[in-house]
Amino acid sequence: MANSTGMNANSNELIKGSAIQLSNIVKSFGSSMALRGLSLELKQGEIHVLLGPNGAGKTTAIDIMTGTRKADSGAVSLLGGEPRDKSIRMRVGLTPQESGFPDNLRVAEILDLVRSHFPEPMSDEELFTRFTLEKLKDKQAGGLSGGQKRCLAVALAFAGNPALIFLDEPTTGLDVESRQNIWKAILEFRRSGGTVVLTTHYLEEAEALASRIVVMHQGKKLAEGTLDQIRDLVGTSRVSFKGKQPVKLDGSTHIMQQNGRVVVITKDSDRVVRSMVRDGIKFRKLQIRPANLEEAFFTLIENSQQ
Amino acid sequence: MVLYQYFKTCLLGLTRTPSYSLLTIFTPSVIFVIIGVTFTDSRQEANFALGSFCVFSALGVAFFQFGVRIANERESPWERYVRVLPVHPLLRLFATILASLVFVTVSIVILIIVALLTTDIGMPSSSWFRMLLSVFIGVFPLAAMGLTIGYWCSPKGALPVANLLYIILAFLGGIFFHPSLMPELMNSISIFTPVRYVVNLTQAGISGKPWTIEPFLILLAYTILFLILATAGYRRDEGYKYS
Repeated sequence: MANSTGMNANSNELIKGSAIQLSNIVKSFGSSMALRGLSLELKQGEIHVLLGPNGAGKTTAIDIMTGTRKADSGAVSLLGGEPRDKSIRMRVGLTPQESGFPDNLRVAEILDLVRSHFPEPMSDEELFTRFTLEKLKDKQAGGLSGGQKRCLAVALAFAGNPALIFLDEPTTGLDVESRQNIWKAILEFRRSGGTVVLTTHYLEEAEALASRIVVMHQGKKLAEGTLDQIRDLVGTSRVSFKGKQPVKLDGSTHIMQQNGRVVVITKDSDRVVRSMVRDGIKFRKLQIRPANLEEAFFTLIENSQQ
Repeated sequence: MVLYQYFKTCLLGLTRTPSYSLLTIFTPSVIFVIIGVTFTDSRQEANFALGSFCVFSALGVAFFQFGVRIANERESPWERYVRVLPVHPLLRLFATILASLVFVTVSIVILIIVALLTTDIGMPSSSWFRMLLSVFIGVFPLAAMGLTIGYWCSPKGALPVANLLYIILAFLGGIFFHPSLMPELMNSISIFTPVRYVVNLTQAGISGKPWTIEPFLILLAYTILFLILATAGYRRDEGYKYS
């Protein structure tokens, strides 16, 4: 008796803890394989950022989590249920891809249509102010700029007051102010207990928002962890100096030019500096610091290819 | 309310791009003037022609306004988005049928005005009522058929398919000439088309003959059949673009 209650409590906790579970998802489009056995568990109450180069399978992964596409094989669990289940969808907020809207509907009409699907939607007024749509509410979607469409698309994800929100590159092409507004809305949503899954091309965005990061490459998970864990995982350093860019350096992962400095990404900064001295490379103003996410990310992918 | 929101946005979307809607709405009136006026000798024949052309209006709105347009928009990012919102497909289909009722009404009003100006139509008010009721009932199976075309045909395939079925059903259904004038073979095929039943209902209404329950049941069966097919098409849709 006591045993069985104990088990129940445990399994309840498990269901509560994870917002999304993917196990061994395979998805191909014709001859090209977008996902090659992707397994993931995303916890509730976090902002999960999916990172990876174009073609890594981020968008396909999100499409499968949301039920927009069906996997060829593998299992999906979204908020403890089936992604296409109506009661599950009531708790999920999404944005349309490519910010595609019917050209001749007004902003307020589109918001009203989407809000009407949910039991306790966010009020029009709140959506207008949070996503800087106040002045645009009577404008037809066809007349909006790219950035304005993006704001509307993100607003739609929040419109139903969901528990979980998916955002596919939410701030691409936005001005600084709109981007800050959206970041604020995302962080506020998390503070109120919400879960976010987002993809982005901007590492700055990942660094500002992410509480958990999943790095994807070629349809698989490459690494997973907090921002710091991902950095530490690769233990990557950034060595930079003024001088001529060497073609090759012992121990370097990548060499590039940045703001008039030579930047060397490496897992072993000591070895790089030693080889610079040994090779007689002339350098000034040498700096060594831990690599940022973008640089760490670069190393991860390079490692996986070796 | 979701149903009302879909109905509203569907109507707004269509009325704000009038060029496309106007063509579908006016076509029956134009053809009525060319064919109906020339080939009707008596008041009763003109009445019958009017009834048939009202059904023709419903067919055109169902196939072109909704069928072809749905097929064209099916793979758009917005449609893909709406498909994952928590709404039962039947509710959306029903909202579309209600919107098509509005368009059919507009098209019929224009047709009646044209008929009053160009022919000698006239019938007792009970006949008017029964004729219009028949057409409105007919909108349901015909619109459901249009939805089936919309959710099963590719964007490129929908227009030719709709065109072909439009012409075939109009002829076989007895819209362009009275079913009693049909050759034997044509008549035996005709009685399987939903259009024929709607035309029969309008004609019984116009001539004051009592209705039987049978055509209503058959039209109901057609409506259910096409709603099932359209729903299956809606669900099957997964979007084919690689992205």
